[in-house]
Amino acid sequence: MIGFGLQFTLLVAAAALPAGPLDFKARNMRIEPQERRVVLQGDVQLSRGDLNVTGQHAVAEYGRDQPATAQKPRGRGQSTHPEAGLGGQTVQRFTVRGNVHVQRGSRTANGEEGVVDVPGQTLVLTGTPDAPPVVRDGSEVLSGERILLRLDSEDVDVIRPRLVLKRSLAEDGQAKPTPVRVEADHLVLLQARRLARFTDDVVVRRGDAVVRSPRMEARYDPDGQLTRLELRGGVDVRQGERRATGETADYDAQARTLVLLGDPKLYDQGDVLSGDRIDLGLDSKEVRVERARGRLRPEAHKGERGAP
Amino acid sequence: MGVLVLALVWGCGNSANPPVSSISIPDVPDLSLQVVAFARLSEGQVVARGTAARLDYRRSGGRLVASRATADVQPLPGSSLAAFGTLRFVAQDAAGEVPNRRGTASGGVRLDAARGDTALTERVEYDGDVLRGNAPVAAHGPGYRVNGNGLFARVDGSAIQLTSGVEGQLEMEAPR
Repeated sequence: MIGFGLQFTLLVAAAALPAGPLDFKARNMRIEPQERRVVLQGDVQLSRGDLNVTGQHAVAEYGRDQPATAQKPRGRGQSTHPEAGLGGQTVQRFTVRGNVHVQRGSRTANGEEGVVDVPGQTLVLTGTPDAPPVVRDGSEVLSGERILLRLDSEDVDVIRPRLVLKRSLAEDGQAKPTPVRVEADHLVLLQARRLARFTDDVVVRRGDAVVRSPRMEARYDPDGQLTRLELRGGVDVRQGERRATGETADYDAQARTLVLLGDPKLYDQGDVLSGDRIDLGLDSKEVRVERARGRLRPEAHKGERGAP
Repeated sequence: MGVLVLALVWGCGNSANPPVSSISIPDVPDLSLQVVAFARLSEGQVVARGTAARLDYRRSGGRLVASRATADVQPLPGSSLAAFGTLRFVAQDAAGEVPNRRGTASGGVRLDAARGDTALTERVEYDGDVLRGNAPVAAHGPGYRVNGNGLFARVDGSAIQLTSGVEGQLEMEAPR
């Protein structure tokens, strides 16, 4: 089934954005002091440290909590106090729209709108139903309804992620790994812990195998290679005519086996097996059941390879 | 900068007893004032005041030419410019046609706002309610610093734009 790597989030060296100003380029800049904002229009480029964001339009909003200090122009003058300055002298939020492209290290992201919360150190990308936001790292592609990139780490938070992972572990006799698709309501990638946590209606598809579970955690080694998947809260595995269930399932990426525990059961063309533990080799389609008990119907398997 | 021209126009009648020179030779101004100070009143309030080292007036065409001109403008409360506080315009040379409400400021034009904004450019043209410039502009203020290749602004402050390619820096709030 699995053998994939979410390691794309782990290959990028984590580094917080450096302090200091944000550099920008655009065709035009409009200053709107009453609205406490600056608008950049046309071929907008924003950069700070290794973060680069481009788009067609950007709005930089200033904070309200630090009143600007009025300065008196030289020479005679009347009242010099502005009635409403930009407020704070620093930008709190950026909104970039139109073909938004984000690059940081080897990671890129695209969306229709990107909102940077400067104090919160996040960048939220959204798109349209036809063009959802996408994060790419090498050949790995992650999309979802909403992607939150943390700017002070490499962590990513995705609402309704749609993950297509082509960087699977090599399989015997196959030149290219089988793509694996993961769907869920929510995904949090915790780079420092080398952990990807999927929650709510997790669905993993690989070839003809489909695994469903409420929760799944993917763990990685320091090189970013997937080592283990842990599915919890009830697991349902379907592959062709075969179905297996259990309370939990652990996938060993090296052995490429899925171990079901917690009243595991295997259903296969009328056979029903239960045991203390069921090991499924999803490539080899071998099954091993410990302390097996159940009902077998040999006549249902006539004509199968290896059947009498 | 257009405000400067206008302010000079408006302020001409308010100058404080300036010395008067020749007025009869066609190629020379009808009126030439040295060391001019002026004030502009609106509804009983002083909304602009300024100075010029020299101000020439030609009755024909209502043309004014000023050198080393300075104008302080107090934006109307509630206007788009009010956020900037008092504005000070300085230009080496300024010329304007009063009837046509057109003019130019050149030879180095500088704007300082009470809020802390500063803008520098070589030349600005004023036409009606619009200021335009095609020369490079360098500006900075609270939280920004920018260089542009042109400017466009409405004198009421409803539009203030640097155009034709801009680049600069925006100060960022510290992370929480």
